[in-house]
Amino acid sequence: MADAIRIEDLRKSFRLGFIPKTREILKGITFSVREGETFGYLGPNGAGKTTTIKCLLGLIRPDAGSIAIFGRPHASPGSRAPLGFLPENPYFYDYLTAREFLAFTGDLFGLGRAEQGERIPRLLELVGLARAADLPLRKYSRGMLQRAGLAQALINDPKLVVLDEPLGGMDPLGRKEIRDIIVRFKDEGKTVFFTSHILQDIEMICDRVAIIVGGRIVKEGSLRDLISEKVLFTEVTVSGLPPAAFEGLGESVSTRGDRVLLKVYDEARVDEVVGLVHDRKGRLVSLSPRTETLEDIFVDTVTRT
Amino acid sequence: MKTPLSSAGRQGTATILLIVFLLAAAAGLVGLKAATDRIVREELPGSSIIYIPSGKFLKYATFGFRGLAADLIYLWAIQYYSTPTIDDRFDHLDHIFAIINELDPRYQDPYEVGALIAVQEARNVGAAFAILDRGAANNSDQWIYPFNAGHIALMTIKDYALAETYFERTMKIPGAPDFVERLRANAIFKKGDLGTSWETWLDIYERAADERTKKIASNHLYNVKATIDRTALEAAVAAYRERFGRPPADLDALARTGLVREVPKDLDGKDYVYDPETGRVRTAISPWRR
Amino acid sequence: MKRIGAIAGITFKEAKRDRILYLLFFFAALGIVASRVLAILTVGDRVKIIKDVGLASIAVFGVLMAILIGTGLVYKEIDKKTIFTLLAKPLHRAEFILGKFLGLVLTLFVMTAAMTVIFLAIVYAHTLQVEGRLLVAVAYIFLELVLITAVAILFSSFSTPILSSLFALAFYLIGHLSWGLELIIKKMAPGTGRTLVRILYLVLPDLENFNFKTEVVHGLPIPPGIYVSSVLYGVCYTAFILGLAVLVFRRRDFV
Repeated sequence: MADAIRIEDLRKSFRLGFIPKTREILKGITFSVREGETFGYLGPNGAGKTTTIKCLLGLIRPDAGSIAIFGRPHASPGSRAPLGFLPENPYFYDYLTAREFLAFTGDLFGLGRAEQGERIPRLLELVGLARAADLPLRKYSRGMLQRAGLAQALINDPKLVVLDEPLGGMDPLGRKEIRDIIVRFKDEGKTVFFTSHILQDIEMICDRVAIIVGGRIVKEGSLRDLISEKVLFTEVTVSGLPPAAFEGLGESVSTRGDRVLLKVYDEARVDEVVGLVHDRKGRLVSLSPRTETLEDIFVDTVTRT
Repeated sequence: MKTPLSSAGRQGTATILLIVFLLAAAAGLVGLKAATDRIVREELPGSSIIYIPSGKFLKYATFGFRGLAADLIYLWAIQYYSTPTIDDRFDHLDHIFAIINELDPRYQDPYEVGALIAVQEARNVGAAFAILDRGAANNSDQWIYPFNAGHIALMTIKDYALAETYFERTMKIPGAPDFVERLRANAIFKKGDLGTSWETWLDIYERAADERTKKIASNHLYNVKATIDRTALEAAVAAYRERFGRPPADLDALARTGLVREVPKDLDGKDYVYDPETGRVRTAISPWRR
Repeated sequence: MKRIGAIAGITFKEAKRDRILYLLFFFAALGIVASRVLAILTVGDRVKIIKDVGLASIAVFGVLMAILIGTGLVYKEIDKKTIFTLLAKPLHRAEFILGKFLGLVLTLFVMTAAMTVIFLAIVYAHTLQVEGRLLVAVAYIFLELVLITAVAILFSSFSTPILSSLFALAFYLIGHLSWGLELIIKKMAPGTGRTLVRILYLVLPDLENFNFKTEVVHGLPIPPGIYVSSVLYGVCYTAFILGLAVLVFRRRDFV
């Protein structure tokens, strides 16, 4: 399987301020995205996620390093022909309608009239903008703009889809729709590369992730490898017994009314707690083991760096 | 109990107050403008143009709109010179028109109108000549400028030599009308150079293309000869009176006494009329009614 | 090539929505029509005033249109971040600049044509003839506008609209003062100083090459060589400016 994206030792510094002070943003980024996989790019604010994407797209000129898109060096505009991009907070020409904007985008890709005529209605249908297609974009809500952005990212039926925070600013229903669309990309064999802060979504759909902190990749690998299956702790909610009864067995997290929420770290102790509840005639409201999540790994990685 | 104003009520009052304020302010500014206008101020409308050293400088400040600048200054000048209340408006006449001419040397109206104002209103013939000379220099194909200058020399200042020079210049420009050479010939006559005047009119007579011109030339030739003869005869009469103590009885007496070789006749072969009491000689008929 | 056309198309669409365009057009039309009123004040040739004011209106307001709209074109894309999605496409940066340029030139062409129609109508109302020579003057004014557009776009690719407008305006003014330099050269003694000024004179724009207003209004002959020479000069200088714009634009990082 070829690499859809291959980045090697990417470096970029910016000179900011009146008396130019150099700030190193990317300090040697190396990672690759294999064709057909869904790849998540994570990191705290200011780590360099957007800068990496802009280097990839040719919006920023890197100081050093190489970027190849399906084997083609990124500097030539032709390398972006199989690429679709949805920026964070998309801005488009607000005097155009969605249909006109998609036609314009199609022209930029050299799509013919017939192709556009076939694809544009289909895309509008896909992202749910079929009814608003002829309204000028300035009348669109944030969510609608996001959908329009997704449509324009797909106009050329790209092999690689690059999304910068695609799920931000959408309501839960919208987020589900976008998630479904991204999963569909996977089925169609497209490569997806995206950044997000919503780690639950990444955990749900990504194959591999990379975590960038302070301009460096600190963790990279498939989710399966990164997240172990072990149980961190078990959350037990009990009613009818005071928190003091569980001293030594678990950590009392919160109390509401007569309900107590416990965090039990030792698996062995869980049985003890259940037994205690039974003996003292309390009621076991819920019991849920918490395995390691991506968020745990993320927080752990970032705080450690 | 007083009910407090509701929010909507407060909004309404605020709007009314605002409108009242606006009306008062509008009335105030209109009234003040009228009052300020009544105050008399020293005003020289647009005459700051006088302080521009020359049109050469202005040419560079017009950024490709020289023609338009010339138009606008010319329009302003027309208004300026038609304002009788500006007493000293003629002080810089030539300077202002020089600016217009330098900006657009091919703009014909200002030369003619400027010269007209100079002669008729400013009574500054020097300025008129300066303007017209500029016109001629910048538009060597236009006969109207030396012609107008010749006309001024002839009629206004009666400088016949100058008139002759201008008319001569006019004649050299293609398209100049025929009568200009007659004006020149007349100027030479008035100048007092009778010999050249005779030759010039003879030349015109011989080249005359139509009867009317021939007749005019012939009349002038008659007039020149008559003037030459009269001058000679009257001088001889004066000499006779000197010698003999009294004027001669008739013109033949002058020939008999040898003061003139022979008594000339006019161009038509007729005698001149002699009045012994005044000693004056005149033609039998008017040169212009032959 | 089709991509340049696509960008030119939306630039035209965007430019013709700009209200400034119509405001300036209104004033230009006002100026041209007002020339008739102005002409009444003159003693002598009225048509000259009409032609001078008309041509000046087209030139002045055309330049203002080129500068005011041109300086915002590229800046707006960068400021509003619409440029991100645009440059992420398989698009050369040069194609972007050229597309913007052609879109604005098309807009100016439509505006100039409209102003010219009004102008010729006013002249016709006065002289009852359509003078072809006036079109020559307008055509070269348009060429000057094209060059100014390129300059506006150049500055717009790295500077804010206000500064860009000032620079573009300065370019226009310097372009009409070129013969001041010529005078200076004539008065200087030969030497390095004069050579430097000479080089400056040759490099700085000479917009008087496109100025045939005086000749056309007075009916003076124009040497045929200058028609071709001026067009080539205009095209060459425009290409040079656009080249600079592409150079600047290529090196930009869009943060």
